[in-house]
Amino acid sequence: MKRIWHHPEPIKTGRRYWRSLDERENTPDFQARLGREFDPSISEMSEKDRDNSRRDFMKLMGGTAALSGLAMVSCRRPVQKVLPFTKHVEWIIPGKPLLYATSMPRPWGASPMVVTTHEGRPTHLQGNSLHPLGGGIDIFAQASILDLYNPDRVKGVTRRPKLGESLERELEDGKTKKVGNAGKEASWDQFQKELRIWGEGWIGNAGAGLAVLVNESSSPTQARLLADLVKKFPKAKCYSYEPVSARNFAAATKALVGDGTRLLPQFAKAERVFSLDCDFLGNDWQTEAGVRDFMKRRAPEKKGEAMNRLYVLENRYTLTGGVSDHRKPLAASLIPAATAALAEEIGKLAGDSALSQAATALAAGVPADIRAWIAIAAKDLAANKGKSLVLAGSTYGEAVQALVLGINNALGSVGSTLEPIKADISVCRSIEELQADLKAKSLKQLFILADSDPAYDVIGLKGLLQQSGATVTTLAQRSNLTTKFAHWTIPAAHYLEAWGDARTSDGSYAIVQPMIQPLFGGASVIDVLLAILSEKNLDPAKQGASEPGTPPPSDPSYEAVKESFKLAAGGWDEEKWNVTLRDGFLAKSAAPKASATVNSGVIAALVSKIKPLAAPAADSMEVVVTADSTLWDGRYAENSWLQEAPDPITKLTWDNAAWVSPRTFRETLKLAKDGDMIEVTVGDKTLSLPAMQCPGHAHNSITIPLGYGQTSVNIVGASNGPVKSGGFDVNALRTSSNDFVLAGAKVKALGKNYELGITQDNYTMEARAQVREGTQERFNENVEFAKTEGMDSHIPPNLALYKGRVDRKTEENPEGFDYENNHQWGMVIDLSKCIGCSACIVACQSENNIPIVGKDQVVRGRVMQWIRMDRYFATPDDVDRDPTLAELDNPEMIHQPVACQQCESAPCETVCPVNATVHTEEGLNSMAYNRCIGTRYCANNCPFGARRFNYFDYNKRNPLVEKRVPIFSAITGEKRNLYAGPFGEKKPQEVNQLQKNPNVTVRMRGVIEKCTYCVQRLEAAKINQRRVARDDASKLRVAPDAVKTACQDSCPAEAIMFGDLANEKSTINKWKESPRNYQVLKYLGIRPRTSYLARIRNVNPDMASVETDRVVKTGEASIHNI
Amino acid sequence: MGNFFPRWTNWLPLKLAVCGSFVAVGVVVGMTYYFTPKYTRVGYEPTQPVPFSHKKHVGEVGLDCRYCHSYVEVSSHSNVPTNQTCLNCHGTDKGQIKKDSEQLAAVRDADKTDRPIEWIKVHKTPDYAYFNHSVHVNRGVSCQNCHGQINEMTVVKHAEPHSMGWCLDCHRAPENKLRPLDQITNLTYKPEDLNREAFYASLKAKGASIEGMAKVILGDKPLEKPPTDVQGLVKLAEGSFGKTVTQKEVGCQLKSQWRVAPPEDCAGCHR
Repeated sequence: MKRIWHHPEPIKTGRRYWRSLDERENTPDFQARLGREFDPSISEMSEKDRDNSRRDFMKLMGGTAALSGLAMVSCRRPVQKVLPFTKHVEWIIPGKPLLYATSMPRPWGASPMVVTTHEGRPTHLQGNSLHPLGGGIDIFAQASILDLYNPDRVKGVTRRPKLGESLERELEDGKTKKVGNAGKEASWDQFQKELRIWGEGWIGNAGAGLAVLVNESSSPTQARLLADLVKKFPKAKCYSYEPVSARNFAAATKALVGDGTRLLPQFAKAERVFSLDCDFLGNDWQTEAGVRDFMKRRAPEKKGEAMNRLYVLENRYTLTGGVSDHRKPLAASLIPAATAALAEEIGKLAGDSALSQAATALAAGVPADIRAWIAIAAKDLAANKGKSLVLAGSTYGEAVQALVLGINNALGSVGSTLEPIKADISVCRSIEELQADLKAKSLKQLFILADSDPAYDVIGLKGLLQQSGATVTTLAQRSNLTTKFAHWTIPAAHYLEAWGDARTSDGSYAIVQPMIQPLFGGASVIDVLLAILSEKNLDPAKQGASEPGTPPPSDPSYEAVKESFKLAAGGWDEEKWNVTLRDGFLAKSAAPKASATVNSGVIAALVSKIKPLAAPAADSMEVVVTADSTLWDGRYAENSWLQEAPDPITKLTWDNAAWVSPRTFRETLKLAKDGDMIEVTVGDKTLSLPAMQCPGHAHNSITIPLGYGQTSVNIVGASNGPVKSGGFDVNALRTSSNDFVLAGAKVKALGKNYELGITQDNYTMEARAQVREGTQERFNENVEFAKTEGMDSHIPPNLALYKGRVDRKTEENPEGFDYENNHQWGMVIDLSKCIGCSACIVACQSENNIPIVGKDQVVRGRVMQWIRMDRYFATPDDVDRDPTLAELDNPEMIHQPVACQQCESAPCETVCPVNATVHTEEGLNSMAYNRCIGTRYCANNCPFGARRFNYFDYNKRNPLVEKRVPIFSAITGEKRNLYAGPFGEKKPQEVNQLQKNPNVTVRMRGVIEKCTYCVQRLEAAKINQRRVARDDASKLRVAPDAVKTACQDSCPAEAIMFGDLANEKSTINKWKESPRNYQVLKYLGIRPRTSYLARIRNVNPDMASVETDRVVKTGEASIHNI
Repeated sequence: MGNFFPRWTNWLPLKLAVCGSFVAVGVVVGMTYYFTPKYTRVGYEPTQPVPFSHKKHVGEVGLDCRYCHSYVEVSSHSNVPTNQTCLNCHGTDKGQIKKDSEQLAAVRDADKTDRPIEWIKVHKTPDYAYFNHSVHVNRGVSCQNCHGQINEMTVVKHAEPHSMGWCLDCHRAPENKLRPLDQITNLTYKPEDLNREAFYASLKAKGASIEGMAKVILGDKPLEKPPTDVQGLVKLAEGSFGKTVTQKEVGCQLKSQWRVAPPEDCAGCHR
């Protein structure tokens, strides 16, 4: 008899969590999608379609059968070759991965990491746990390996004619042809010759007209070479910039503390943190160590354990806001005023009258409710003097930063939670000076040596580059807007291809070492600087030339890095150098502490310069420009993993959109559906883009992420592919690169809709109490509150005869798992620590060869990422009251990563007709991909929606390219490669293929796939253990905590724990015993091996009176969680 | 109404059914013989670019497998040697053996041009299966178990089917193949050649208990007076297995003492 499982009736008393507005309002559209694997509107055919397609299918099958007879005749065993190395290569053992420590240079300091290489190909990145700041790596660092294997990288030197110059190119028949704006291929030798001619000129005129533009960088070698450059050519000029820069904070530090000092937040010491639109856990110059230190103090295990507390004021939801204990949406225009209000309160409480006086005038613009909220927070901050920290978003101006520094000074934070360290003084000038110099036409040769794309992200630079008369040379990894205007384009080396160095955020010296020869012959910034100093020949043909038998000539870049190391280490020490190469960093090289006295007298003068903005209104909205959570400032536009990684807040892929509050969306703009187009006008500039509703967004405020709408990118981020994606360029609205808050925007609806690839309703889970959380007070009352929430408080006894294979093997349970002789794998995810950054998604993609599917397939609900980062909002349910838009003003937000839970009694296994998914002795729900025939019964039966189906052979068929099939495309208008059938382009993607993990099957079309706890890593550890143990049976068990999954390795917050449940010494057992531990869908009796730890929030009891906009109080949301 | 169907059609269905069943049986038998690795793989013997004879190097000269396949004990992959390995003996500046031989021209050429010799792959694991050499050779499975009598092959050929069923035969009953670790690369090994006393003594030296080993010999049979030393064990084994050492005896002892438990679930080889 078929037993139909009825979900328990929801208890209609309180609050609930939801992932999308459709879910909250229970729209018919959502009802139809619920419990289904894919959107019914697209995955099902009409009756007529079905008839036709069946007929077509029979026709095709008949033809195929007839032809296959012919094909059998030519069936031969394919001959495969084995190519050994001709000479032994040091360290390489074919079949074994080789690990190297290196670091990824970032503007704010390097991310220490370990690179896995297979036979010389880097395949995966993970954090360097040896480094004191190491641990996880963020989503950008994790995905950066794909940039190395971008098939559309700049591959050779290109020469383009200057304005009015005529350039000719030789044709095959000996004639010449004029070169247009597309430029012509040139050689390194030609560029080197040109450089030599310029160099002769610089020697004569002390480098007049020579200019170099770099990104902000922590590299000691780069800094040293720039200083050398200015020394050798005193009239040469160096400029540095960053599209989303922290220079305002640096400027404020300079003004208040002095030059040569940097203030470094110390989250480990901070008890109370107040963020003024500073997304320090997300996009605001976040460091992995900062995330780790901050989140470590938010996961209490015992009653009464201390926690830090976070207050956030911001215009849109950010990851930081999601973690916060108290949050209020506030328009970005009012953030300076709110800062002033906080300064005034703190000044009064801490007795710093100069500070409060400086702030009073500006603070007047703050609404009363915010003022009251700030006053309570200020009291809490002042009560924790010396242990509190205030941060402001780095896009806010110098005055706001100065005020914040003044507040921190009054709170006694400088020297404790804000540690002053010594910093190098850069020789670089600002981007504004470059623009002025270009306008003055004083530059002759400009070298743009930046990862970012200055022509795209510096407003107005494009025109200046064309008109200045300077010869522009750009070092670029991908063809971008700058390469379109540059007269010389030379390919840049990826950081995994060249020697370099960097400093981590604390100033420690870190090494950047090459893993592979430049795939497309690129040069690094250091190489080019050396070439400008005529210390290196960039022509690869001239570098390695040495007589056989003699050692190859040393690479000047390598020597330059060694020289910097020598300076950092205080003298050359071969052993130290080797240890540095092995560990990836020089131990004990953190920047020395500085003493800092804050001169708060300057604040008043700085603050008086601010022109306060009015609160935005319906006819004069504000536009807030932010860095994007996946593309940053646009420099990762060609990284398909990042393009497809859903934005943690909006769950939007492949595009950006205008984020607005639901109230503004529906009441002010009168829009109906996410993706409805609006036209934003700021001054004389306009931009049309789709809008989407973001709960918790400030009203009359529009957030638009940077980095999209680039016209010159190749297929990945292109807006001209077969399906429109790539987003909209917010730079069209800005008048200067310093504009991050644009006031006075006029917005009107266009009455059109643009399809957005939003993943939030994909693989919807029909669960109760999947996220659980509580206030610290509630936790202290009953530490085990999470265990009995929802249905778990009254689970009926399991009366079924067949209980599945569960738990430990005992006499009563002979079917159980063998804990004596086998490993038993399990995982715990701590929701208290998880910030939702999605680095795990990309880490999993990189480790497990997961393909990207393209926007068109995302819209169809076919995203392949094995980890789904669920983002929940909490509001009251609709029993006591009708849902109102006011509930969406400031709902609480929480993230929960969901992958296969490896249920002991797994529903998916029982329905597989071919035993392609079965349980192992170690408790894994394993997949034999080759056995899968693609019935998808398992995906249908999985209550977590953790299984993914390969609708196409995404690995061979590039989903992003356009394919026009003659006649067919003309009739149907179909130009997507995936749908071109046998005429589509179908071949292994040669360059991308190099990134694949050789120990994981590359799945083909028609196969289900899912997380298997990185089974390849588990097997490798077990094999290694057996290999070493040989005939000693006592050593067969893998050491506790020796294996880590890819997601665990990448998590900067250390929120994921994995290990052997059968080993008492494993840390996983401590986590499983935590009072906060609970299983999702426990009442189904499926016994998942992955469990979660409930989130605890440290709520300030005084806040209750002023937080009227939060209908469900923070942390209380899950009490009656249905 | 006339008769549409002549009389002979009465038997047609039966005739068709009988013929059809013969054809079906034929197809099934043919497929199971001709379409399985036993037929398609065993005996594959491609001509290699260098006429390297394992028979000469291993069978006659007596080189150990690991001289050339040097990483077989540490890596998943058993490497094909580099030119340098060949030239250790055949190089003009090294061993100088047959240094000008015509047959070695390809090796010298590869060394000069740095372009590797393109050997033809004989044993191939499919992409969806994972195989690791090191874990097998370190746990008592010999080269010979999977690759056959390489020491007698002038040209390497595929000796065993390497099908999934064949793998599982051994994974389910490893005692039929296990041998002592010092015999792994001995391609002429026979269990009968082992000295029983030395075998048990070596196991005991590695920490195996007399009692445990006796239990393996006896299986479920009870014994009144259990042996107390190696001599007692030898006597017990002679009673059970006969005068000479047998594979069953060696295999069962090693499986039990080393706790050999080859994976039988999918995740062991498919991931």
